[in-house]
Amino acid sequence: MTPEPIVRITAATKSYGGIAALEDVSFDLRPGEIHALAGENGAGKSTLCKLIAGVITPTTGTIQVDGKPVTFANPKDATERGIAMVFQESSLVPQLTVAQNMVLGRESALNSVRRVRNAARQVLQSLNFKVDPSQLAGSLSTAKRQMVEIARAVLNDARVVIFDEPTAALTPEETEHLFDLMKRLRQRGVALIFISHALEEALNHADRITVLRNGQLVATGNASAFDRPTLIRHMIGNDLSQMASERPKTRSRAAKPVLQVEDLRMGSMVNNMSFSVFPGEITGIAGLIGSGRSEAAKVIVGHTKRNFDGGRIWLDGREVWYSAPSEAIADGIAYISEDRKYDGFFDTLSVARNIGLGWLARFRGRRILTPRERLRRVAADWQQRLSIHGAGGGKSVVYLSGGNQQKVVIAKSLVQEPRLVIFDEPTRGVDVGAIAEIRRIIRGFADSGAGVILISSYLPEILDLSDRILVAKSGTIVAEFARDEASATRIMHAAIH
Amino acid sequence: MAGPDRHGSGAVSEQRLSLAPWKDRRNLLALVVSMVTLALILVFSATVQGFATRGNLSVILSNSASLAILSCGMAVVIISRGLDLSIIAVMVAGATTYATCIEAGMGGGAALVVTGLAIVAVGMINAWLIAYAELPAMLATLASAMAITGLFRFAILRGEFLLLLPKENPAVQALTSDLLPGLPVVTVMMLAALAATWVLLNRTVAGEIIYAMGDNFLAARLSGLPVRSVTMLIYVWAAVMALAAGLVVSSASGAVDFRTVTNGTLLFDVILVVVLGGIPLRGGRGGLANIVLGVALIAVLRNGMTLMNVTTQIQDVIKGLVLLAAIAAENFLNPRDIETDTAGDL
Repeated sequence: MTPEPIVRITAATKSYGGIAALEDVSFDLRPGEIHALAGENGAGKSTLCKLIAGVITPTTGTIQVDGKPVTFANPKDATERGIAMVFQESSLVPQLTVAQNMVLGRESALNSVRRVRNAARQVLQSLNFKVDPSQLAGSLSTAKRQMVEIARAVLNDARVVIFDEPTAALTPEETEHLFDLMKRLRQRGVALIFISHALEEALNHADRITVLRNGQLVATGNASAFDRPTLIRHMIGNDLSQMASERPKTRSRAAKPVLQVEDLRMGSMVNNMSFSVFPGEITGIAGLIGSGRSEAAKVIVGHTKRNFDGGRIWLDGREVWYSAPSEAIADGIAYISEDRKYDGFFDTLSVARNIGLGWLARFRGRRILTPRERLRRVAADWQQRLSIHGAGGGKSVVYLSGGNQQKVVIAKSLVQEPRLVIFDEPTRGVDVGAIAEIRRIIRGFADSGAGVILISSYLPEILDLSDRILVAKSGTIVAEFARDEASATRIMHAAIH
Repeated sequence: MAGPDRHGSGAVSEQRLSLAPWKDRRNLLALVVSMVTLALILVFSATVQGFATRGNLSVILSNSASLAILSCGMAVVIISRGLDLSIIAVMVAGATTYATCIEAGMGGGAALVVTGLAIVAVGMINAWLIAYAELPAMLATLASAMAITGLFRFAILRGEFLLLLPKENPAVQALTSDLLPGLPVVTVMMLAALAATWVLLNRTVAGEIIYAMGDNFLAARLSGLPVRSVTMLIYVWAAVMALAAGLVVSSASGAVDFRTVTNGTLLFDVILVVVLGGIPLRGGRGGLANIVLGVALIAVLRNGMTLMNVTTQIQDVIKGLVLLAAIAAENFLNPRDIETDTAGDL
């Protein structure tokens, strides 16, 4: 007999401005199970989790906890019923201590520092966490911050703990440790939900798996009933033979680097970073989040200022120093941001205008009137070359899928005919189908003789695409591998130790 | 129907937004405002004597010329997600300089050139503070408004409020005359300002970049667009529009009155026009149609209330309530939540 579910969601729909993020989803969570949520980006996994955690309320449909219907006005209501969420980005207050963070929002009127600290220490020890409760949360590593969030959930007697991509920022050992802990919590009868992009994690560690696609529930069942191909088929709706990555042949290297960076320094993020990029090659930069890769890229293109004596940069042997990205782009260096919504595309403008703006940047004020006819042709041409779909009738970019949005941002840069492009996490938040296409675009661009820097935290991507792999750690390059000598283990080893 | 025509048009303006118009919520606000304007016109025509006459129409047109010209300047600034609080101060400073020049015996053309250069310099200082010193536009222009007002009152008026214009001077009379019978120079200036704004926003590279900056400034900068030079252009544009409005206002009243700056009503009206017309303060949207719509509403409202002998204090109350209602309607028609909110929204 299956136990009574702790949380039951019936026919829940959540829509934003007429667009359904979640449609008619019914979902059960049983006590003492580990439940994996799988699906592409935008499939509705986070929306489902936020419903359960009380962050958002369903447009229609009901939520039951312990068989009783509930309406969460805010996350606190959910917390009081024993539901806790561990967010992808830490929700700890960096200026408070670990212990203060753990009781945050539930302090008693007369708060005793010592009592709080002791309670926190007890929970941390019971979970085998080596974290000092009087340390400031801001000084902890990503993995430890996550531990504190878990400990907070345990301290609050959480019966449901939701993890949003818990392993994204963890090393392999830390990941193992996390799953061990999840299993220990399961023994206490806690129900756990986790979202993960690594299918193996779902298959190996979950009791049950639920797959969402386009806001709808497409499959749910015991983990043993799934394997990798069926999971992928459910996620994208068809077979994914095109995912098989073609490993590029090793090519002969051009004699001279297109870009040389020496002792780049910027604040505390970039410390004496030095590396070279060769034309026709993809130079992958691996590393953990916060290793200073994006920061270094932004310094190179002049988006952020480097230190006064912040190192030197040569382009084709000529020393350059950019104070604004427009100067770098005039020299043919483009940076494609890791967060396209934040500083990548223009969300209210059409695809054509987005691409057109990239093209207009090349004129550098030498033209007054817009060459409308040429602009339209250029945009249509690039739309076709990168097969950007869903752009019909001048629809705003914001309505496109993540993959198509990313292609728009790439087109906006490639239309400038750059000689060196820095791709920062080019497939983050991109649907599985478009990932292969975007990788092909990057490969093709390098094959045309241009230089490519690929910043990615996703090791398979670095390994598949790069001709040469650099590893960044604490703002400096700590290792370099030729493509044949690189492996996930060696890269992770260099990135951590 | 005057709706914002910029949502997804422009360089490729044939490509209209394919979404059904009722799904584009911004059109809804413009629709509401134009309905209200129409309703006001009907109500005033029926109840207020002398409202629906040809004479009154030309009064409305010439009275709203300065407001329309100022709004052309402000709208461009706001579409780029900036704000120019110095626009009225620059207007008064421009008129003062012009008046001083012709008093000193300069011809109208020479006076205009000298004044123009001075005003362009003021616009460039504003833009420099925003683009290079990277001050928030609101603070930079607020500070420059104070400085300009103080400087001009001290240097030219010696602390007085009022500068009377020499009415007989041909350089003043040229502004108050009719270009063609029934077509005053000030109306022509208004039409020219509107036309120039349309060209800037819809046909120039700078216009494209203005929308891009308003939509996502960081993306515009990272795309290599010349955001600093365009910021220069935007604030110089606003300053030049302010000067044109200053010439219109002072020639009509025969005086330059510094209290226009200090009582703030005109600045409020200009922002009212832009917001009511449907140009959101967060930038990136709106166009000429929105300016025309906003000016029409405020002009009709002002004229009708004046004919009804409503005191200016009550007029201020009503305008304030109209602004609040419009913002509330905007929020109601265009709700935002965590998912639809974009980073750095105002």
